[in-house]
Amino acid sequence: MSYDDVEIEDMEWNNELQAYTYPCPCGDLFQITKEDLKLGEEIARCPSCSLYITVVYNVEDFLDKKSNKPIEPSKQQPITVA
Amino acid sequence: MEEYVGMELRELGTDGQLGTGRLQDELLPQLLHLTSLSSAGPISFLACGGAHVLALTSGGKVLTWGRGTSGQLGHSDTVNSPHPKLVMSLNKYFITHVSAGWNHSGFVSDTGALFTCGDGTFGQLGHGDYRLHVYPVEVSFFASKHVEQIACGMRHSLVLLRGGSGDEVYGFGSGKRGQLGITKDKINLVSLPERSCGFEGVKIASITANGDHSAALSADGHLYTWGRGFGGTLSAQTPQRLPTSFCFTKIALGWNHALVLTGGEVFMFGGNHHGVLSNPDKMTPVKHSADSREVVLEKVPGLEGSRTLHIAAGAEHSAIVTENGVLKTWGWGEHGQLGLGNISDQTSPQEVSLSHKFQKEAGLIEIYCGSGFTIAIRTSCPLLRLVNPTYGC
Repeated sequence: MSYDDVEIEDMEWNNELQAYTYPCPCGDLFQITKEDLKLGEEIARCPSCSLYITVVYNVEDFLDKKSNKPIEPSKQQPITVA
Repeated sequence: MEEYVGMELRELGTDGQLGTGRLQDELLPQLLHLTSLSSAGPISFLACGGAHVLALTSGGKVLTWGRGTSGQLGHSDTVNSPHPKLVMSLNKYFITHVSAGWNHSGFVSDTGALFTCGDGTFGQLGHGDYRLHVYPVEVSFFASKHVEQIACGMRHSLVLLRGGSGDEVYGFGSGKRGQLGITKDKINLVSLPERSCGFEGVKIASITANGDHSAALSADGHLYTWGRGFGGTLSAQTPQRLPTSFCFTKIALGWNHALVLTGGEVFMFGGNHHGVLSNPDKMTPVKHSADSREVVLEKVPGLEGSRTLHIAAGAEHSAIVTENGVLKTWGWGEHGQLGLGNISDQTSPQEVSLSHKFQKEAGLIEIYCGSGFTIAIRTSCPLLRLVNPTYGC
């Protein structure tokens, strides 16, 4: 059973993982790649446990339309260093 | 002196939040030999987040360990720490309260100052920006105010103030589910603290946050919840008082459930989301209304005969300690977070077998849950000499 339904806008783009992520109760992250989304995949899995979530999104938003990218991955966060 | 037991999880396989020095799940309670903790003085309080732990000593110092990739450990870096390390930048302050969110941390000093560090993507650090901070930075909004408590959820934070005209609760971070309680209108992100509604004239004893939930207990035992609904109920944009005659003394929030303590008895609401926290056949529902906005309290079975002293909730698991010093857990067990020696889920409380020496100190065990891990502390009489923790569990 899907742990939760999560809208794509509530997921975070993770540059390192090259995937959209959402917190998993185990402490790790549910993950789904842009390639998965383009294929219409709705399930984001956690690499550390059996749980998965259903990603709510519009597949058209992820099909290649170079001039029109509705969902831009957020930029790397600036880090404040002491 | 204390001794520590981590029951736990691994997590990212590798964040070290159990403090065992190993980066793996442990299915049974492991006694932790934490020399850095022992030398820092007795631990008075723990806060467990997504995969990190903050330990507050009775001398007002803070040690942190576990996942540090967002700066949530406050060590001026973004690396994990498998062992407790003193948060050096807080050394000049006497810290009285701490809270750990998914990837952020909050610290309150005896002078009422608030410091936050870690992930700030959703504004949950309260600095007016969306950056991460790798060491605790004072939240300037509260510079002239007296902060009493901080509560960190997945992507939001709550603050309890003792103001001149009474207690005030503030929220910042993600407010999408109503978890900030600051307006009836839908909001998304708030990076500067805003006052939560509905507490005028109410004396607040404590605030709590986890997942997208928020809660407050008033001094006279009333429970207020806001944010994501429990057990399929609607989200609440502003604090809602639970309509019940119970006088609650403690609350613990998970990601889809809550435990409340009243008169030594434990009630739960929300629990069936993941299907393992409650067994409807065994529960005794105390329904208050057919209104879908209101929660249904269920008495947790299997705890009869002994009063419960402490309650704690992880994302999808629960733990309690009875007056006899018995530790019981239930819920999701895939990572060994129930400490029962297996990875099974449990629908009712199961007794955790601690070492004989650990358990015989009745009533002095305290329990804390992170998202997918659990830590118990035994606090012995402070007048006793330090115990050298040399036995295994």
